[in-house]
Amino acid sequence: MEPIEPRLAAYLAGRLDEAEQVRVEGLERIFGGASRETYRFVLTWNERGVERQRRLILRRDPPGSLIETERATEFAAYRAFHGTSVPVPEALWLEEGDGYLDHPFFVMEELPGYESSPQAITQAPYAQHAERFARRKWSILGEIAKADPKALGLTTVMPAVAPAEAWSRELARWEQVIDEDELAPQPIVRAGIRWLRAHPPPAPERLSVVHADFRTGNFLYDAEGGIHAILDWEMSHLGDPLEDLAWSLNPVWRWARDDRCGGLAPRDEAIRIWEESSGLHADPEALRWWEVFSSVKGRAIWVSSAREFTDGRNQDLILALSGWFLGNAQDRALLDALGRLSP
Amino acid sequence: MKPDVDRMLEVSAIALMTQLGPSLPTSYAQSTAGSLGALLLAVREEFERAAARRVEENEAIRTLFAQAVDVVEDDALATRLREAGNAEPAGLEISTLERENAELRGLLIELHAHVESLDAEPARALDEAIWSELARSTERRKLSMDFF
Repeated sequence: MEPIEPRLAAYLAGRLDEAEQVRVEGLERIFGGASRETYRFVLTWNERGVERQRRLILRRDPPGSLIETERATEFAAYRAFHGTSVPVPEALWLEEGDGYLDHPFFVMEELPGYESSPQAITQAPYAQHAERFARRKWSILGEIAKADPKALGLTTVMPAVAPAEAWSRELARWEQVIDEDELAPQPIVRAGIRWLRAHPPPAPERLSVVHADFRTGNFLYDAEGGIHAILDWEMSHLGDPLEDLAWSLNPVWRWARDDRCGGLAPRDEAIRIWEESSGLHADPEALRWWEVFSSVKGRAIWVSSAREFTDGRNQDLILALSGWFLGNAQDRALLDALGRLSP
Repeated sequence: MKPDVDRMLEVSAIALMTQLGPSLPTSYAQSTAGSLGALLLAVREEFERAAARRVEENEAIRTLFAQAVDVVEDDALATRLREAGNAEPAGLEISTLERENAELRGLLIELHAHVESLDAEPARALDEAIWSELARSTERRKLSMDFF
């Protein structure tokens, strides 16, 4: 297979004004993120006799992925939030054809020097700043919840949904993933789906942009409690902002191996920060519905990852690990949300 | 078979994570080696219990089916439950036990949905028994590295 570097350089040369001697160097794949292949690289070019460099990120569709996601929507979300109170890297170029790199891709800036590991944030030198990380994390989520999707230009790229139908659209989407991808019957998640249909939540106070994978592990942070970029917008859509809050509270993200959500803060504190930032009320019954949903959705993702790995469409080990390790934890989280974890 | 399988997997995992992985040239390759080591440790744990947990679970579900025969209000479902509940295990190979487990859990989904639609006390008791079995099923599958 032809190396990525010269093909990517040829693509970028066509998008830089007055650029000559365009080179892609130091291309290195970043582990994780199985919905896209992610690489860092240094772009070097000559502009009017002056050599310039920029550190960039390539996000390329793999042959198979954890979930089928819309790259154009992800790209649009990065662009929409760039320069707002929600920190994101600058998204630069989107290519939806297969001609350049075999699969669609987009390029965005790299923000070097930060950490993203969900395990590292629970250890020195980061762990001592857990409270500050938590305030920042759930405040940013509140900022996403109160952002105006129309003013951001996202209502033209994200499918519309009536507020009262936000829950049923998402539930139908993830139930379909389970129907299509399950390798074995899933009695716990099927019971969860029946419960969700029998107890629909109230319509949201407002429709918001939902990041849809807002969790520890999907942001860049420093060693002083600062968060500098929210990543992985590939599942973003319009919907109930409680969907994001519930996902961030999901027990499978308890990286510190205690009761702190995302390894950072107790559940009540996370909710309090979010309410203060968003100006919205997290109705307990509605939030419970979305917490049950978040485990159904999580299970759908792990079912899908196991399918991709088993069928050989994508044999990145992250798919095997998540399908196996997180699948059972997600079932337990679902039972817990339903008050059924104790035999 | 000596050395024991669990010991071979343990040594292989440690070698991957502490010797081979760190010597690889890229962080992606190092992380992949570390993940492969973690996977081998999980396989080691599963190898030890693989047959036992499947036999136990299949038997537990068959017992539930035997209880359910007199509770359900659907003759066709009752017949299928009786047949599945009375069936003898076909073998102890993991693939055989896994295939039986899939069949039993598929029927358990149907039973659970049916029982939820019934109001009588025996149905409520059966519903509770099904939930208890579902919780136990996650205990059987837990790995020591799990944190929930």
